[in-house]
Amino acid sequence: MRIFDPHIHMTSRTTDDYEAMFAHGVRALVEPAFWLGQPRTSVASFTDYFDGLIGWERFRAAQFGIRHHCTIALNPKEANDPRCVDVLDVLPRYLAKDGVVAVGEIGYDSMTPEEDEVFARQLRLAIAHELPALVHTPHRDKLSGTKRTLDVVRESGIGNERVLVDHLNEPTVAVVKEAGCWMGFSIYPDTKMDEHRMVTILKEYGLERMIVNSAADWGRSDPLKTYKTGKAMLAAGFSESDVDKVLWQNPVEFYGQSDRLLLDELPGFVANTDTFLGNSVLRGGGNQ
Amino acid sequence: MSYHLGYGTNGFANHRLDDALELIADLGYTSVALTLDHDHLDPYADDLAARVDKVAATLSRLGLRSVVETGARYLLDPRRKHYPTLVCDEPERRIDFLNRALRIAADLGADCVSFWSGIRPSTVDPLTAWRRMRDGVTEVLAEAERLSVPLGLEPEPGMFVERLSDALRLREELGAPELLGITLDVGHCVAVEPQDAATCIRQAADLLVNIQLDDMRTGVHEHLEFSEGELNLPATLAALTEVGYTGVAAVELPRHSHAAPVVAARAIAALRAAAVHPTFPTTDFPGVTVDHPWLVTAEQQVRTDPTAIRTLFPAVGRKVGRDPLRPDDDPKGLVHGTVDDAARTTLLGVLADVLDPALLAGEVAQLYRYGDDAERRGVLRSLTTLPASAVPAGLDIIKDALRANDIRLVAAAMGEFTARHLDDHSWRHGVLKCLFVGVPLAAVADLDRRTDDELRRMVSDYAAERRAAGREVPADATTLLEGANS
Repeated sequence: MRIFDPHIHMTSRTTDDYEAMFAHGVRALVEPAFWLGQPRTSVASFTDYFDGLIGWERFRAAQFGIRHHCTIALNPKEANDPRCVDVLDVLPRYLAKDGVVAVGEIGYDSMTPEEDEVFARQLRLAIAHELPALVHTPHRDKLSGTKRTLDVVRESGIGNERVLVDHLNEPTVAVVKEAGCWMGFSIYPDTKMDEHRMVTILKEYGLERMIVNSAADWGRSDPLKTYKTGKAMLAAGFSESDVDKVLWQNPVEFYGQSDRLLLDELPGFVANTDTFLGNSVLRGGGNQ
Repeated sequence: MSYHLGYGTNGFANHRLDDALELIADLGYTSVALTLDHDHLDPYADDLAARVDKVAATLSRLGLRSVVETGARYLLDPRRKHYPTLVCDEPERRIDFLNRALRIAADLGADCVSFWSGIRPSTVDPLTAWRRMRDGVTEVLAEAERLSVPLGLEPEPGMFVERLSDALRLREELGAPELLGITLDVGHCVAVEPQDAATCIRQAADLLVNIQLDDMRTGVHEHLEFSEGELNLPATLAALTEVGYTGVAAVELPRHSHAAPVVAARAIAALRAAAVHPTFPTTDFPGVTVDHPWLVTAEQQVRTDPTAIRTLFPAVGRKVGRDPLRPDDDPKGLVHGTVDDAARTTLLGVLADVLDPALLAGEVAQLYRYGDDAERRGVLRSLTTLPASAVPAGLDIIKDALRANDIRLVAAAMGEFTARHLDDHSWRHGVLKCLFVGVPLAAVADLDRRTDDELRRMVSDYAAERRAAGREVPADATTLLEGANS
């Protein structure tokens, strides 16, 4: 099983997680820029964080055989904070970077006028930088927020095929599928989605434009949820190639629209994911 | 590590060898091409061993690296120039001489022994001459292998092995022996090669064991001072850097002995002007600059509008690639850098040309501040190309990089700029950091010159700490400490 985790916040994770992810087949990931868990108080706090996403965290991931990419944006929650909004002026510098494969996470948190403006402006940035967009859907008032999200996407002029609408669930999947956007699902231990509900959704809606992520961060979450979803798919009768489509080909196709994905093997790491599945002892190379 | 500029003692034929070596070192050369001759370490002298010891001590005292040259005119036969040769009817004395030269080179600690084929006598047909070359070289190689001293076969205009392609073919036929390398005279390239010297250098690349520097005109085998002939000296030196050549590159002006001190002074001035940063391997990559159309366009854009560099700089890797320049011995590009490092250096060079120095420091600082790891490396490796007014800004950048734990940044931060400008304390900590995080010390420019007792103490303590913990001491640490005892 080869896995591309299209949404995971590695800055909040340990090296044990990296080792476990590699051992279970994760070879590439995307780390979206997001909230820190507590409010930022200045633009400098963002830029230091962005520097980590395009620099240190990429380097750290590479030590464990995993290709790291990121998305850059002002997140919806902090779009409401006047101390943070000026970060929009430095985004163009970051959107030009090698490891940046989308504008994100953008979208709605509380659906305020400020969020409207920042969301639309960042979709314009995505168009200008020829990048896809990763759109977060709100935790509260989710269906209404998702519909409003799709309206803003439509008005922006960005192609629907260049938009991934994330954190979907049973009530919100249909409208996104209908709109022609990519559908993202965050598989969590006890909130958002779980792997068995995910399998049910895949059976009902098919595999096209379906994206599964762990969205693991500093909260209670599990960086192996992508792998566990793959296992659940197999147990439910999906084939290996179905699993590969959802866990690798789909995210690669979506983020590949940036033309910036790097997916070749890192030097010193063996190619066959099955050889050392679950066995980190066989992991080769690196600087350890 | 870069190549070592030197001077050939055959250009000091009217000086005692000791005097010649002193003069060469005084002028700033760091190597010498030593032609064994009747008056310069005569290999047939009765007290040869003592003489070799004395010369070895002098080379060591003066800090001169060396190669041994065997092109003396009348050393073996007082009547016939260069005779006997490997392709004549009685090559035995030549073979014996080359074997002696190998032993002397071993005792001197020289890089290699250079030799040529000799002129094919009109009475010897080419097939016989070729067979004699093969036999003779095979015989000498046996001694070279016993002593572990490389041989450098030098294509020589007018001789049987005349061009680089001849020498490479002979080497192939002999099974590409590891110890049979190439000596390349860049002037000869102008005179007889179908391609320029830089191209020859790239073609021979890893086989080069010795370089001779001089100017020449097309078709004329006459060793000239630089700029008197047609050689493109900057491009030639840049090619040496590009292929990662680290050996001796010595001026070869055997017919200028009558004015040797003056000629040698002029030569090193010309070399320094042509290679602004001869010890920094990553400031000039002509292969990249001329070969990639995107970069050519990018340079023009920066010339027209310097702020264009803000969007071009991050895109470099996507456009020109990211491979290490010397993948075989530097797979991560930590020591010699990467293709995108080289291209970014080119762009910053253009920026430095067109931007007011006062604005330049600020722009470079911003490129670093907002750069990802690759862009930051590009800035770090470019700092030597910037004017003196940018040094304070450069030092701030270096100190930032040395606080990082990304080994690519740490490696790029220990280059020539740092060797020249960083204070002792910070520099020592930089070296120690390299040992800690696994950056090869080959990435540290001017390591030998800047290593002092305090660094040795620090490294010695570090080694003790490793041993106390039952851990391996990095080989680079051991080497650095052993250097202190020799």
